[in-house]
Amino acid sequence: MKKVLITGIAGGQGQLVARTLLRRQRGYQVVGVDRTAWEGRPRGVTMTVADLRKRKFEDVIRRERPDVIVHLASVRHFKAHPAVRHEVNVNGTKRLLDFACSHGVKHVIVLSSSYVYGALPENPYYMDESFPLNSSRTYPEMRDLAEMDMLATAYLWRSPDIAVSVLRPVNVLGYHVHSAIGRYLKNERVPTVMGFNPMLQFIHEDDLAEAIVLAIENHTRGVFNVVGPGAVPLHVAIRETGSAALALPEFAVRPAIQQLFRWGLYPFPPRAIDFAKYQCTLDGTRFREATGFTPRFSLAETFAAVRA
Amino acid sequence: MVARVQSLDARRKARQHAAERPRVHSVPPLRPAPPPPPAPGTPGELLAEAARQLWRRINPDVIGAINDELAGRLRRIPTRLNEYGYDPWGFNVDVARRAMIVTTLLYRHYFRVETHGVENLPDGRVLVISNHAGQIALDAAMIGTAAVLEREPPRILRGMGEYWLPTVPFLNVLVSRTGSVVGTPKNCTDLLRNEEAVIAFPEGIRGMNKLFSERYRLQRFGSGFMRLALATKTPIVPVAVVGSEEQAPAIANLTGVARLLGLPAFPITLTWPLLGPLGLLPLPVKYRITFGKPMRFEGGGDDEDAVIAKKVGRVVETIQAMLDKGLRERPGIFF
Repeated sequence: MKKVLITGIAGGQGQLVARTLLRRQRGYQVVGVDRTAWEGRPRGVTMTVADLRKRKFEDVIRRERPDVIVHLASVRHFKAHPAVRHEVNVNGTKRLLDFACSHGVKHVIVLSSSYVYGALPENPYYMDESFPLNSSRTYPEMRDLAEMDMLATAYLWRSPDIAVSVLRPVNVLGYHVHSAIGRYLKNERVPTVMGFNPMLQFIHEDDLAEAIVLAIENHTRGVFNVVGPGAVPLHVAIRETGSAALALPEFAVRPAIQQLFRWGLYPFPPRAIDFAKYQCTLDGTRFREATGFTPRFSLAETFAAVRA
Repeated sequence: MVARVQSLDARRKARQHAAERPRVHSVPPLRPAPPPPPAPGTPGELLAEAARQLWRRINPDVIGAINDELAGRLRRIPTRLNEYGYDPWGFNVDVARRAMIVTTLLYRHYFRVETHGVENLPDGRVLVISNHAGQIALDAAMIGTAAVLEREPPRILRGMGEYWLPTVPFLNVLVSRTGSVVGTPKNCTDLLRNEEAVIAFPEGIRGMNKLFSERYRLQRFGSGFMRLALATKTPIVPVAVVGSEEQAPAIANLTGVARLLGLPAFPITLTWPLLGPLGLLPLPVKYRITFGKPMRFEGGGDDEDAVIAKKVGRVVETIQAMLDKGLRERPGIFF
């Protein structure tokens, strides 16, 4: 029976991955690490409260000796100080990968994001995994995530014994996850840039959990875009998730968001607005071919999951 | 009053009748044909006459008929749309239909386009390659309109846009909803692999802003289109547009001013910038669009430049020959 260690197991996505693993026929032993305890966790899950940055974390790997690590514990919100984000996302991931190498872990799955490609005007639709991670060109706050992604990728040649899978899912929506796009769309009035309406891809949280488990089962190695059922323009997504767009001219929206972000009243830095202007859409062919993954939830069901 | 009601009724019937016919090529005549136009006078007179004609023809009935016709035709395009009506590249039928009402009016009543050989446009993946001119990309719009109005079944031609287009507010949305994308190799390959029809102008900006003295002389062709066609085993349909190269005769292109304003070009035409924004209006030239027979090339997409250039040369020769033939055979620039 494979033993899977999930970091960030108390988070929405972590819980879903754990539950998906437990439902599997072949059976998995699920252990978890998080900074906060998962209250009401299912019987099959054992967890340790530990911080990725602390010594205790290494002890968990040493004691549990998992076959697979699913690394979901990264800081995605911007409330934390940039130094904390960097410490957790970059240095934390490096420590995790080093421990994994020295304690005989065979497979590590690192959850990155589609945002690392950046939203740039010259982006083609459907970027594949070979595209450069351009996000920091216009969005420096995203740099630690891109660094985490590339650091994990480097272990593919640095430690060939350990299969590293870097998953870059598109916008995740659902009831349990706290995703950036979810928080953005849950505003009653969603700020957008007048005259822009890019195509956005979405994936349901349960589909992403399924994708992660498929990556485990197929022992995938490499970098994979994970895409859902399709793409719609931003304004359709806003309407379908039950909000209303507040389209402002760009010269107004940037300074407004800058101030609101500085005062802690708006959760995204002003540079994030590029994702409401330009495409950041991914080609998911490689993952589909490697694992046979097809999303179960349609776009309409994915949007409905936000309102639930 | 009664007579008016009856005439409206008759019009509605005519419209219904038109909608039932499987192949509709023109709006049913609403009134007796206008008297033959006077001999071409000065461009100003011609422009005024064209504007009068256009105004007389644009009335809600005509627009309603075009709308119905386009809706019927767009229902039959092979492009697959998701549950919200969008294809993976942002194309949307409703927006495209509304935009095409305008291009159809231009197609039928302003440029009075004559299209030949549209049946040469095959099903499945195809790369349409055409000459490019006229300062504004109306040639692309007219070829695209022809593929919807004249071909059976109608097809959407997917334009390959400039890299700066996505940065222009509103225009970027319109361009995307009507089926165009940024002209990156990845976009082009994906569209072709999806069995779409892609239209490209390998002359690019060099063609668009050519001077009047260079009209119907093809500028240097880029070779990217040929590499993509070979890599995806896509037939090339050469297209010649006669008329567009006289729609906005450019005397000069002030590259210095263009650079200062951050524009791709700053042409001086007979009317622009002399007449202000109105000067952007092209002359009411008559368009003649010819679709040539599909050309199929053998070879690899990453062959040496010289090998690719030879194949590009064959496309250039074909289009140039089609242009020369069209120029020889046309009775005039405006008629």
